[in-house]
Amino acid sequence: MITLEQKKFEEIEKMTKGYSRLLVLGCETCSAMSFAGGQRQVEELASAIRMAQKTSGQEGEVLEDAIARQCEPEFVDLIRDKLAGCDAVLSLACGAGVQLLSERFPDKVILPGCNTTFLGVTEELGVWSERCAGCGNCILDKTAGLCPIARCSKQLLNGPCGGSMNGKCEISKDVDCVWQLIIDRLARLNRLEMLEEIFPVKDWSPAGHGGPRKMVREDLKS
Amino acid sequence: MSDTSPINPMAHPPCKLACPILTDVREYVQLIAERRFDEAFATIRRQNPLPRVCGRICTHPCETACKRGQIEEPIAIAALKRFASDGPWKNQYKPVLPDKPSGHKVAVIGSGPAGLAAAHDLALLGHHVTIFEALPVLGGMLRVGVPEYRLPKNVLDEEIQAIVDLGIEIKTGVRIGAQIKLSDLFEQGYKAVFVAIGAHKDRKLGIAGEDQFEGVISAVSFLRAVNQGQNPKETKKAAVIGGGNTAIDSARCLLRMGAESVHIVYRRSRDEMPAAQEEIEEAIHEGVQIAYLTSPLKILGEDGKVSALKCIKNELGEPDASGRRSPKPVPGTEFTLDVDMVIAAIGQAPDSSLVADELGLTERRERIIVEGPYTLVTTRPGVFAGGDAVTGPATVVEAISAGKRAALSIDHYLKGESIPAIEPAKDVEKVSLARSVVEKTRKFPRCKKISLPADQRLRGFKEVESVFSEDLATKEALRCLHCYLGARIDAEKCVSCLTCVRVCPLGIPTTSKMGEITIDPFACQACGVCALECPVRAIDISLDPRTEIAQDIKKAMSTSQHSGPVIVGFFDLHGNFDSSDVENLRQDYPHVLPVMVFGLRRIDTSDILKAFECGADGVLLARCPPESDPFPEATDRVKRRMAHARALVEALGLDGGRLEICDMPEQGLVQKELIDGLIQRIKEPGQVRSE
Repeated sequence: MITLEQKKFEEIEKMTKGYSRLLVLGCETCSAMSFAGGQRQVEELASAIRMAQKTSGQEGEVLEDAIARQCEPEFVDLIRDKLAGCDAVLSLACGAGVQLLSERFPDKVILPGCNTTFLGVTEELGVWSERCAGCGNCILDKTAGLCPIARCSKQLLNGPCGGSMNGKCEISKDVDCVWQLIIDRLARLNRLEMLEEIFPVKDWSPAGHGGPRKMVREDLKS
Repeated sequence: MSDTSPINPMAHPPCKLACPILTDVREYVQLIAERRFDEAFATIRRQNPLPRVCGRICTHPCETACKRGQIEEPIAIAALKRFASDGPWKNQYKPVLPDKPSGHKVAVIGSGPAGLAAAHDLALLGHHVTIFEALPVLGGMLRVGVPEYRLPKNVLDEEIQAIVDLGIEIKTGVRIGAQIKLSDLFEQGYKAVFVAIGAHKDRKLGIAGEDQFEGVISAVSFLRAVNQGQNPKETKKAAVIGGGNTAIDSARCLLRMGAESVHIVYRRSRDEMPAAQEEIEEAIHEGVQIAYLTSPLKILGEDGKVSALKCIKNELGEPDASGRRSPKPVPGTEFTLDVDMVIAAIGQAPDSSLVADELGLTERRERIIVEGPYTLVTTRPGVFAGGDAVTGPATVVEAISAGKRAALSIDHYLKGESIPAIEPAKDVEKVSLARSVVEKTRKFPRCKKISLPADQRLRGFKEVESVFSEDLATKEALRCLHCYLGARIDAEKCVSCLTCVRVCPLGIPTTSKMGEITIDPFACQACGVCALECPVRAIDISLDPRTEIAQDIKKAMSTSQHSGPVIVGFFDLHGNFDSSDVENLRQDYPHVLPVMVFGLRRIDTSDILKAFECGADGVLLARCPPESDPFPEATDRVKRRMAHARALVEALGLDGGRLEICDMPEQGLVQKELIDGLIQRIKEPGQVRSE
């Protein structure tokens, strides 16, 4: 899933100041699962904004709603009527959701309530960690199923580097050296010979370095 | 009144399904836990016109079915019923009679629990009821069968009076069938008759000497005499033959009347004894001796009076028709008990001979035949029958059930409608909890009932059991595990985030490969952690839904008339406080508006903000003492959430000191110093909190 983190309240308060009718809009998939912007966080945040407005003497109304995914036009269009009377939306979706709202509602102010962080896994309730960088060219078959692009601080393809100490990365004792993990796992699988294959220089164009990415499936599109 | 809709076993708790009148046990137990005693009583009384009787002598099948029984011991439901029904708030309940009487006259024959329940419900349906009672007193077996020490007469009097006060006409000393025939009643303008004559005829022992000597008496006659304040015979050493509740009642009465030794002679072993276990225990505790596996052979006498009982020992053979192993005498084990009195308590039968020419009877010509156990229609149009007269001796709540069903059938009959045979709850199989759930559930011992010491009991007929104190009653009610009041998932909202699976302290939610979450509604104990943590609000708890908590906050705020700082106080119902503590808080601190919850687990940051948003100047959260908390493992989660709430409150520019989280004291709702400190911080922000 895409993980998100709600912005600090101080930042949200500042960006939502001055709007007389604000819609706090939750996104019930990745953002909800990140505890950043599902219905529960919408309630909490809307309540806090109302109180902040009251304290600062601002007259205004704060509405609450949530849709399944803000990255789908059909869901987004379902709030068109509700949005008609609002002058701004605080979107609790990832950057993709915020931008789709901006595209669908060109005359409205759309504000981001969350920071989009990474593609990751849930380690346990309340703990997520990055696993995928979305580089567009998966090499996990060659790296024992562990990604050096997402998990090596230097994104080395032929690691480890000299900063690997006791299985940890030199940037922090809390960060595992993914190359150490790769070697350990290949040893366990009895496939250490795979390390002899040298990765050539990576082509980063599928990773977005060749410009914004777009995917078209001719067999599906209308 | 009875519910006529079919029962769906999946939606009702086992306590309710086990009760013949489908009492809403869970509801009134919950109301007791919430210290809403008057409402608890109203809940009981709406369904049961004899709650104080049942609170004392019901055999409580609800307790046998109770889910708590799978953890350690069932909830003391009968004792809770008595608590709710004995308190002063009972007088606030007023049954509502219909504005317009139906104009129909109905005769009820017999004033036992079946007759009284039928009369009560018929009166509430607008019919004019006359009760015909053969004895000079009302109450049937409740009056002349159950001893004073189990059911005080003044309690019975009050319950009967409340029923009579519905406008019921009483004719005592009238034996239907002898003085007046059933057909005469119809001629007198009665449109329907309910025959509930009970089972007052003793069975004979059928042994030598039974009719020969003075001092042999049937249990029914004995108990009837004792219950009317007479002593049928002075006795020093007595034997009671039989193993049912009547035998136990007789034996315990004999001890109270000065008998030096009382032996119960029972032909099978204790396991087969039909009397209630707790009655047997009490009898033994008081000094009754029980000769198990013993049959009487012959009553011996001297000078025309009983002098001894000759007995023989038995061994148990093959199971008989009743499923109990049948006793077989062991040759050569005869012995005699020196006694001057023998009470025969081997069962009763209805005395149906008086109605034999007008109603169809069973083959042994004892019981009245009814078309079905739910319509109670007899062989004669307009005549219905129920209670012991139809079933043979049974329990008080079964008799009440028959009376209620009869009232419904008669009402349909009088309106010219067909009489629906209400589908009984299918014999619901006892659902077993998973072992992991049993192990993870915190044990709380059942509150012990308070009984008179044995030596004080035997000096008279004073009631043996006392009513629970408010403290004990609430504590006991809080043991309820809230079957089917737990988590409900709204499948449309659920996004399969697995939070519920991860946070449940009992491990109850499960997921399919495709993320479909299932929460077993029977096993769930309504702790509410999942409902609170669910990021999309797809789960709610029926026990106290989130919407209700929000309403409670608004309601509490709307009652605020105080000009000083207003504080919303969330109090855990599991604390050791009683209704006077709540009252004192209201008087001492009108600032503090209490919202009662089944655990602070239920309060989210948004609820705290909501309170501030509604105008509260401070919020107080009082945790129950750890020893009372059914889910202590959630405490850390609660604390961390409160830290988050405080951080948010401070980000809003408010003093974090306006939010106080504390433990409840050993007794009471909250320590005064804590409230004073909170008020002080609200008045003078920026002070350091004491925590």
